[in-house]
Amino acid sequence: MKGEILARFSAATREVLKMMLDIDVEDASLEASGAVAESVEEIAISIGLTGDFSGETDFYFPRGTALEMVKIMSGMAFDEVDDFVISAMGEISNIISGNATTELSKQKIICDILPPKIAVGDKDALCPCGKEVSRSIQTTIHTSAGDVSLAVKLL
Amino acid sequence: MVWKEKYKIGVDLIDRQHEELFGRVTDFVETLRSPVPWPEKVEKVNSTLSFMKDYVVAHFDAEEAYQQKIGYDKLDAHKKIHSAMVAYVSDFASEYEKAGYNEQLVQQFAGKLLAWLINHVTCEDQKIADFAKRKGEIGHEG
Repeated sequence: MKGEILARFSAATREVLKMMLDIDVEDASLEASGAVAESVEEIAISIGLTGDFSGETDFYFPRGTALEMVKIMSGMAFDEVDDFVISAMGEISNIISGNATTELSKQKIICDILPPKIAVGDKDALCPCGKEVSRSIQTTIHTSAGDVSLAVKLL
Repeated sequence: MVWKEKYKIGVDLIDRQHEELFGRVTDFVETLRSPVPWPEKVEKVNSTLSFMKDYVVAHFDAEEAYQQKIGYDKLDAHKKIHSAMVAYVSDFASEYEKAGYNEQLVQQFAGKLLAWLINHVTCEDQKIADFAKRKGEIGHEG
């Protein structure tokens, strides 16, 4: 099931970014389980998943990607990751997750999403405290606005 | 916020309102992001926020009336999405006022609103257009 979950989230990410931002989005490259590549400054957003399975989906927006995406949406230049930018990335992650779980429900895999938990430049803070996280698989989606990585972690 | 022709759903009333809504959100965001100290712009931010907020509610009402008129099969689901957003805006407005017009709160609100609105118009509202086309309603909205 984990492969199906990642595939749905990956497809939803591509669809939402294409529709909302009108940008080129390449097929995702699946990566081996393990740590997401370090980035000096990135916005890490964790959406909790609960239902037929439990865990979380984490979205990683490098600084340059986030600033470019907000610029595309607003038509204004942004030069720092601030509350506005972080909130916009949180909402995009929320929209993607909602669409992915709607698609999963069509395959009788029922799951709700929880409000986003957000960290900037500190992905470790997003791990569920005191719970063993396993079966983490990740993918990176390449877009003309920059890369976006996502990881599905099931408990 | 950049309005694009491709956002049009083919219903004149809704398209005009979407374009107006994008304009009002742009005014709000541009005022909010202007390089002016917060105390000097808070009053203008609040007035553009209020102007934009009223229009959101009026637009949702008009859009739902159109959906009702054409017998849109996802009207209830669409209404729930609108209601959730109106509740979010209302809750934000109360909290923002209670917090003495805190800049951080309104920056967070504006970032979410921007992404939500673009997704709503480019994805959710396009489903109304698809339904209206199937029913032959596009161009006959009166």
